[in-house]
Amino acid sequence: MKSQKKKIKISALVVLAVSLMFAIFIPVMFQGYSLMVVNISLIYAIITLGISIMLGMGGQLSFGGLAFMGYGAYFVANVCTGRLGFKIPTLLALVLAPIFCAVLAYMIGLILLKLKDTYFTFATIALVQVSFSFFMNYRPLFGGPDGISGIPNLSVGGYELKDNNHWFYFLIGVLVVLAIIVERIRTSAFGRALASVRDNDTAALTLGVDVYKTKVKAFAIAGMLGGFAGALYVMQGNFVASDLFAYNNATQFIIMAMVGGINNTFGSIVGSVLITILPEAFRSLERYLQLFYGLAVILLMVFMPMGLSGMSQQLGKWLRRLIWNPSAKKAGGAKQ
Amino acid sequence: MSFNVVLTVFLNGLAMGMVYALVAMGIILLVRAIGVLNFAQGELLMLGAYITFALQVQMELPIWVVVPVALISFAVIALIFMFTIYWPLRDASYPTAIIIATMGASIVIKEIAMLVWGGLPLRMPPLLENEATGGALLVNIAGVNVSWQLILTAVVGMVIIGLVFFIFEKLYAGKMIQAASQDKFAAELMGIPTIVTTAATYIISITLAGVGGFMVGPIFTVNVTLGTLLLRAFAGVIIGGLGNIKGAIIGSVLVGLIESTAAVRWSTYKDAVIFLVLLAFLVVRPQGLFGMKIKDKA
Repeated sequence: MKSQKKKIKISALVVLAVSLMFAIFIPVMFQGYSLMVVNISLIYAIITLGISIMLGMGGQLSFGGLAFMGYGAYFVANVCTGRLGFKIPTLLALVLAPIFCAVLAYMIGLILLKLKDTYFTFATIALVQVSFSFFMNYRPLFGGPDGISGIPNLSVGGYELKDNNHWFYFLIGVLVVLAIIVERIRTSAFGRALASVRDNDTAALTLGVDVYKTKVKAFAIAGMLGGFAGALYVMQGNFVASDLFAYNNATQFIIMAMVGGINNTFGSIVGSVLITILPEAFRSLERYLQLFYGLAVILLMVFMPMGLSGMSQQLGKWLRRLIWNPSAKKAGGAKQ
Repeated sequence: MSFNVVLTVFLNGLAMGMVYALVAMGIILLVRAIGVLNFAQGELLMLGAYITFALQVQMELPIWVVVPVALISFAVIALIFMFTIYWPLRDASYPTAIIIATMGASIVIKEIAMLVWGGLPLRMPPLLENEATGGALLVNIAGVNVSWQLILTAVVGMVIIGLVFFIFEKLYAGKMIQAASQDKFAAELMGIPTIVTTAATYIISITLAGVGGFMVGPIFTVNVTLGTLLLRAFAGVIIGGLGNIKGAIIGSVLVGLIESTAAVRWSTYKDAVIFLVLLAFLVVRPQGLFGMKIKDKA
């Protein structure tokens, strides 16, 4: 038990150190457009956290996060630009958008989570398609193909987040808070109920877990995170257009979660940051970039289905054995 | 709606429905045989369109050479696909990993097509061409001009679907494939080589998608967005009931008809209409039109 505690502390320290280094070095290394890409990757990490709750903790493959990102984004776009005849402060909109999306996700989840596994996955694909179609064509609310521009920056207590640097520090802070919350959810009673649903829903049912309600709650949390990310996205970019919410991007978020490690909070963040930043870093290889990306996804799934976090855990285990107990290396290796 | 509109809508819907049915059948066969939802099926259709374009337009081969060469290349692609995407992952500890791998494969196939043929849409001549104008050969049905390509697509779709049914229902090999797909372990015990039946399933499934691409190439242009037809096929699969081939075919034809009807009245929202119908189906009758006979393995 004691060693267990110590292990968690070490990994937490490593995570903290890495994020600190990240926070200090990134704004120095990247400026302007590149820093904006970093910011967007941090926003995507929020949706990926939602996927990690649904898929990693709950075992439900959902494409719906993207649709809720859209609802959050257009919610903010409508209430902050005065398109509906009134304007509310950006901070209030940032709070209301995830609540709106959570309520919406809860209601949609009540209907869709009656479906099981593959049917549920298809239902969320349908949700993404229907939402995209309306985002793209319905002018009064979504601006049609032109999108909505002129969305104000977020201002917190009179302090306006103007440039990419401000946004970077704000997003890092938000992400750390969210990561801690998600990590708490993982160890809470709700998280354990969700894990039991993932592993065997019949067994979960006999143990007194309300499988349906648990899944609906997880869907609502994922929807809330999606809506929050959408709200941040439009405030950061001052613009929203429908092409972001096409089905292809939904698969991209799932790939992000899988690449980082599906049941790992830090992994989902790393996955989304890597997948968003790497294409920008290798601009010169643009022609082959997507091809390498696809190949990398396949190879990663073949050799490391638990993603980068699974790989680092294996590596850590191996290193620990090598350092502390070199003689037991072979025996331990055989057991693996 | 006047009679010609109805006829055009019906034929369009039927032809596209048949294409969706080909893709949908491929999806169902794989789900039943190995429990894998193949997200690359749409890109395989796209690849089929590009391959037939290369044979027919770039190499200028006559049609009786194009068809067998195309079929053989579909089979080869199927084997490559099986041994790269499915085989290394068949014992994966995490079942979603293989689905993600098919998503990765869809990206790879799309990018390869982009690199080889470029991103621009390519025009492919219809199978029956009007020599004088260079356009599609039209046939006059009750005063309405209908493109032969649509009729051919519907007919080819029906013939191939019939053929697959014949293989699975009448031939011993088909029964072997079905037995292996329902219980792999028991089939192995009975001496059925499951690797062969799995390979056969892959070949049939991917050939179906390839033929679909061959037929839609002239209707749309040959381009990388053909992969998105997959989503309509998914809709057809669900409306018909997952795991049921007959249901998937009827569901796909229904999706085709809904699509072409919606295109008349709400052309910009036709996607929304299809998927709203799908959602309505899922809410009202989640098991699909025909229910499901086997366990949901995917």
